Amino acid sequence: MEHAIVLQPEILGYFKNLPITNTLLVSWITMVILIVLSFLATRKVQMIPSGLQNLFEVFVDFGYTTVEGLAGVKKAKVFFPIVFTFFLYILFSNWLGLLPGFATITFEKQPLLRSVNSDLNMTLGLALVSAFLTHAFAIRYLGVVDYLRKWFTLNPVFLFVGMMELVGEVTKIVSLSFRLFGNIFAGEVVLATVSGIFAFVAPLPFYFLEIIVGFVQAAVFMMLTLVFMVLLSEKHAEQH
Amino acid sequence: MEILEQFGINPILLAAQVVNFFILLFILKKFLYKPILKVLEERKRKIDESLKNAESIEKRLLETEEEKEKILTKASLDAQKFMDETKKELEAFKEEMKQNAQKEAEQIIKKGQEIAKAETEKMEQQVMGRIAEVVAVAMEKVAGKVLDKKDQKEAIERSIRNIS
Repeated sequence: MEHAIVLQPEILGYFKNLPITNTLLVSWITMVILIVLSFLATRKVQMIPSGLQNLFEVFVDFGYTTVEGLAGVKKAKVFFPIVFTFFLYILFSNWLGLLPGFATITFEKQPLLRSVNSDLNMTLGLALVSAFLTHAFAIRYLGVVDYLRKWFTLNPVFLFVGMMELVGEVTKIVSLSFRLFGNIFAGEVVLATVSGIFAFVAPLPFYFLEIIVGFVQAAVFMMLTLVFMVLLSEKHAEQH
Repeated sequence: MEILEQFGINPILLAAQVVNFFILLFILKKFLYKPILKVLEERKRKIDESLKNAESIEKRLLETEEEKEKILTKASLDAQKFMDETKKELEAFKEEMKQNAQKEAEQIIKKGQEIAKAETEKMEQQVMGRIAEVVAVAMEKVAGKVLDKKDQKEAIERSIRNIS
């Protein structure tokens, strides 16, 4: 019997109070893969790069140049590791979720593996981290007073605008998390449905599509986080 | 908050994901970004340096080339001069040799002539002596008398004078 796709991740077991869901398991696998890859890539760093080091150099260089272009040299050093970790983590978990075995291998009648970002817990967690860090950097670069003056002013009109913007901050979290969740979850549903209709060759175009979606969503999450960070940590021009 | 329940939101899972992210951030920062950014920076610096070096080397090469050209031109000029001088000297030497040889030849010819002349004179005298003897004998035969030494001499001298 084909397992129906549900919004909630399936719980495989409990570790004390921590429910081990299949998405959490995959997120750990993703982390292990990323960590092992980065260890291998930088095990012996050479002036003349080759193999994995070369590959990661291309990624890191491209990412760093992008961040530097948006955030400037000084802030890039701080922002880059965060946004690029978002990118790598989301990209790898999205692509990992496309591998065979996902949703088909079962453990106690539950699918053992499930794409990380098809669980709102995971995307919401990332979005919360993104928002938290964004505001933390804003306070760090602007100081508490300047940071608060972004939202609260004595001028009633600007006070209203500030309130709106505060709501906007909450919306950012929702949009970040639901965008990622929606895309990946929908992809899972499409793949499962098409595979249910005809499992051979027919899902192939959708797999290609999902590869692109996985990359695009990772890039979007990274770029949005970066832009929010840059915008919030910039000194606001007082009079609009 | 019913919607959150529907999506299976669980604070512990959220926290787990946040912790996951920070662990990943920490490890990647330490073992991926830092070494790679460092090596990128280092390579950039090195390339910069190498390019500068290459430029200076090229400049120096150009200078050397120019110098070489100059030296070559000078050397070829010198060689030409030297050749010209040598040619002139050789010509002079040749001329001198020629004159010397001519002089020597002339001397030899002169000497030869002199020797020939002396020889001729000597021969002449000998011939004269023989003739005198012959004349003396003839005269003896003709005169029928033996001429003494004094007469002989007289007669010879007379006849020689007559002949010559």
